[in-house]
Amino acid sequence: MSLSFRFFILPIFLLIVSYASMAQNATLSGTVFDDNQVPVFGASVVLSKTGKGVMTDEAGAYSFQNLSAGTYKIQVSFIGYRTEVSQTEIRTNQANILNFSLKESTYNLNEVTVTGKSIVQQVKDKAFNVGVIDAKNLHHTSLDLAHALDRTSGIRVRESGGVGSQLDISLNGFRGNQVRFFIDGIPMENFGSAFQLNNIPVGLAERMEVYKGVVPISLGSDALGGAINIITNSYAKNHLDFSYSYGSFNTHRTIVNAIYVSPKSGFTVQANAFQNYSDNNYKMHVDVADINTGEYFRDQTVERFHDNYHNETVIAQLGVVNKPYADRLLIGATLGKNYREIQTGARVTGVFGAWHRKGNIIMPSLKYSKKNLFTKGLDVRLNANYNLGSEQNIDTLNRRYNWFGQFREYPNEGGERSYSLYKYKNNTGIATANFEYNSKDRHKFALSNTLNTFDRKGDDQLNPDNNQYDQPRKNLKNILGFGYTLEQEKYNVSIFAKNYFQQNKFTRRIDDENYGPGYEYVDFINTFSSLGYGSAASYFINDNLQIKASYEKSYRLPESNELFGDVINLQGNIDLKPEHSNNYNLGSSLWVRLNEYNQFNLNASGFYRDAKDFIRPRLNNNQVMLVMDNLGSVTSLGVEGEIRYQHKNSLNIGANVTYQDLRNNTKYEAGQTTESVVYRDRIPNMPYFYGNADATYTLALGPKNRRLSIGYNLLYVHAFYLYWPSRGSDKLDIPEQISHDLTLTYFFNDNLQFTLEARNIADQDLYDNFSLQKPGRSFTGKIRYKVF
Amino acid sequence: MKKVNLFFSLLFMGLLFVGCSSDDNGGNNPGTENPTGEEPQPEEMEKYVVTATPLATEGVADYILTTDDLSSGSISTEGNGIEQDGTYRYYVTNNDKFFSLLYGQGNPGAVTTYGLNSEGELELLSDFQAETVQAFEAVDDDILMMKISRSSDAPFAYWYRLDTNSLQIAAEGQINTQELADNENGEIAFFSWITQIDDKVYLPYFLVKGCCDDRFGTEFPDEAHVAVYSYPEMEYVETISDDRTSFIGRYFVNGLTADENGDAYAFSSAVATNAGEFNSTLPSAITRIPNGSSSFDSFYFNLEQASGGYVIDSHIYAGNGKFVGIMQNKAEMTSAYGGGKEFAIIDVYNETFEWVSGLPDPSTITTLTYRNNYVSEDGKTVYVGITTETGSFVYNIDVDGAAATQGLEVEGGVITALHSLKASAE
Repeated sequence: MSLSFRFFILPIFLLIVSYASMAQNATLSGTVFDDNQVPVFGASVVLSKTGKGVMTDEAGAYSFQNLSAGTYKIQVSFIGYRTEVSQTEIRTNQANILNFSLKESTYNLNEVTVTGKSIVQQVKDKAFNVGVIDAKNLHHTSLDLAHALDRTSGIRVRESGGVGSQLDISLNGFRGNQVRFFIDGIPMENFGSAFQLNNIPVGLAERMEVYKGVVPISLGSDALGGAINIITNSYAKNHLDFSYSYGSFNTHRTIVNAIYVSPKSGFTVQANAFQNYSDNNYKMHVDVADINTGEYFRDQTVERFHDNYHNETVIAQLGVVNKPYADRLLIGATLGKNYREIQTGARVTGVFGAWHRKGNIIMPSLKYSKKNLFTKGLDVRLNANYNLGSEQNIDTLNRRYNWFGQFREYPNEGGERSYSLYKYKNNTGIATANFEYNSKDRHKFALSNTLNTFDRKGDDQLNPDNNQYDQPRKNLKNILGFGYTLEQEKYNVSIFAKNYFQQNKFTRRIDDENYGPGYEYVDFINTFSSLGYGSAASYFINDNLQIKASYEKSYRLPESNELFGDVINLQGNIDLKPEHSNNYNLGSSLWVRLNEYNQFNLNASGFYRDAKDFIRPRLNNNQVMLVMDNLGSVTSLGVEGEIRYQHKNSLNIGANVTYQDLRNNTKYEAGQTTESVVYRDRIPNMPYFYGNADATYTLALGPKNRRLSIGYNLLYVHAFYLYWPSRGSDKLDIPEQISHDLTLTYFFNDNLQFTLEARNIADQDLYDNFSLQKPGRSFTGKIRYKVF
Repeated sequence: MKKVNLFFSLLFMGLLFVGCSSDDNGGNNPGTENPTGEEPQPEEMEKYVVTATPLATEGVADYILTTDDLSSGSISTEGNGIEQDGTYRYYVTNNDKFFSLLYGQGNPGAVTTYGLNSEGELELLSDFQAETVQAFEAVDDDILMMKISRSSDAPFAYWYRLDTNSLQIAAEGQINTQELADNENGEIAFFSWITQIDDKVYLPYFLVKGCCDDRFGTEFPDEAHVAVYSYPEMEYVETISDDRTSFIGRYFVNGLTADENGDAYAFSSAVATNAGEFNSTLPSAITRIPNGSSSFDSFYFNLEQASGGYVIDSHIYAGNGKFVGIMQNKAEMTSAYGGGKEFAIIDVYNETFEWVSGLPDPSTITTLTYRNNYVSEDGKTVYVGITTETGSFVYNIDVDGAAATQGLEVEGGVITALHSLKASAE
């Protein structure tokens, strides 16, 4: 975790310079820890009388030599922490040792970063376009990780409904699996339905790193549009906190974090447990068909009646920390289960009343990390997990429902979608290895490998003979990357190369045309291997202005679910090819400090991508399911901007806006010699202009640091067309969307907070994929208590 | 006029004329009769309705366009046309209404209905929800729709009678297709299409296993059956069978059309399969059920012989015993689901077969309108939509001369249907 704090380091402010120098033979040294007893790297330590200042090293250590005896004031500061001032008497001819323990500041990290000039000296570590969301600022809210991300520049979260619904995140116009997700650097794919970003509470995370465009080798993945790395709380001391929230639509969420660390042996036990429950019975504005006559009743307001979702998950780990052989060695397991009722198909016209799913996650895991292994500068990180969990699809009632919840039942066996009790295991496994070597002369070498396996096996007791489920559905993916980075005072350059490998094993019916006959199954193996490469650079024009540029030739390999389907509303497409693209990014950041109280931060970036075999979801031909497909060639030219203003520590206002111009670049459709009529047309059903604005005001209220914080968030999404914009005159669209959220938090003390939250206050209709509606106005209350 | 005795190919029928017409093509639709008994306005508005899908890999919808002329000029989907939600759409007209059905494979879908207003613009009349059906046809003032099971575990065909005046499902029922087929091995009947003749509907069917990884296979490839039901009661009357041809029609394709005398001509493609192999031993041919008869008569026209090895894919009735047949080379046939690209004029009165000249080289044709073609009032011209690698055109086939000319260009789209619609008399 200290890596990113390097980033936010404070400058050394030489505050008071005093006089006097006497016999200079005393030393002062010590270590600076954070409140988790983790050494703080890069904290500034200033000795008041002398005006001397140093920074702590990676072990959190500092030292001053040749001091005169006497009484000194020592000030220690670090971004995100309260500045500590201590007075000590230094004596000659002895080792004076003074350790510090910094307390976390209640101010937000972003606020502090903009105050510091020398932030830049650490930011330069990254040539990548990375943004960091401090999740701790959101711990008092009832947000899940996905909705926390939704407030970030360039990010749009799209879901099919309420709590637990299917999720799609787009980042600078890339979406779905073009953007990869990691938890502590471990790829999140294949975690199963019980563990997705929109059912993990934000309280589980410490911060989220958002990489736009080029992704560092250490996250060794085939992310094409970017990556989001969730850093979870990694307390290195005893800790216990819990939170509970209750809100509209009978939504309950609970989260408990508990950590025990033995200070002597380094033995640790960690448990994160969380639970989500919601009826998701929010209102829908739909046309309801009479169950008998088919006549539509227009513009009805109905409640969703079959959308209950709940999940319960425990992540338990035990092991050791801070040992000579390991900074962290943990074995553990993620255990969870979920239940989900399915209300609609890919469109709201398909309504279900009994079809549901169950799933569980049983995922043993191993985490190992060690800095300076064997030799100084060599950092090693190894992770592995295997998901033994299973999923089941339950659709056994031959009924037809309408939005009033009425149904007709047909006499024979059947299902609402298809008669099924299909139960399957995906048997997914992931192993990652990262090696990083930092030489003293600022050369950095990184080697990483990520291996994913997938082997779906399942059966359906209702159709035991149905051998389509028994065919091999295997997928092996390996990404090997090597990178080199040169870090200099003013600039920083990185080059890298990645090998992408994928092998899919599957069976295909040869005569499978339109339910054609023939039960000849033939095994196929598709193998793909290709080399991608890129470069990233950053440069400080002056201390307050930085520019970054990057280029990558990248591949995005199809996911297992995209190849084999998710058995709900995503249909498999075994012919899906890897998408490849050339990505160019250019960005700049400016920090402006008007005076002590007023600061600005501006970010602007532009990107251009040209993608071939662009992987996009589309509705299957009969509009029932989504299917991922390669869609020829697409170009994307976009800009995004963000501005943030801070007044003292009480007011923080920001806004971000993204515009992306996605154009169809397929000039000739297959079999055609004339130019496609939708060549250079805007890609339909994709938001292209959207933004967020937020404001937070904090005021002291009562004694003992009691505070009230008022937060407001605005979401805007410009209207967009469902189908190609250039075609037709009487068109279907997804209208403009505006949502206002308000959050009130009362900090009773550092350990206890109460929050009231109102989302979508104006109760506007919000839509998502293919015009599925999202919840209207909702209220949530939350309590968070940190025991110790 | 009340008597609806003539039924042409499926799409042909809905677009015929209001009661004022006296052309011998008939097809007058009683539903369009002016309820007040007044003569309709002579200058009544009429438009051709053309539907088109842009050629693109994704994000495509069907667009409904209107035009006054199918024989020349061009129209485009660019900034023009009513967008239809979803690609897989089927169309039928009846009672001066144009119905757009979404094929939703097992799920219900919205059916949108349009009428033509006096300005000649399409106007949304209503939406209603209907099941996904495998056969639909204008019958009297209704659209009769059938959802047909392909599973022997649930051998039911559900029928829905949509009243085109109230735009609601007026009646529904089910037919046990296993009992209807009455086979010792349990194969079930699958209706190929629906044909109205007088006060009955004729439902040709083929036999399918409905199971065992060969749902559409059969062990009875050399039989033709037509189930007859009374209308609107949909009570079973009889089954008319024949063993000179394989089954009549195909999946989603009409194979039975009555001429002006009410004699029904039955087209067999001879494309039955078993375990993926074509297994019919009989050639593609036309047979006949005379008006009111309970059996086929001796009429037999061997299409494979007449065409030199082609089978009928689908047909369009022009009038006076003349059909436009879309033909497929049997030697090149790989599936039982169509793909013919060559046109011929088949005259059942004179038993002649003549290839149509003036059409694009079949190897350059990518798609064409197998259903939803339009026949002129006088029966002399049949309009078909053809997309080649260079564009989409409406071809005008002169039935008597067996010659086609290139007509209206449809820019930016594959033509999916050609219809005609009159402004409603209401």
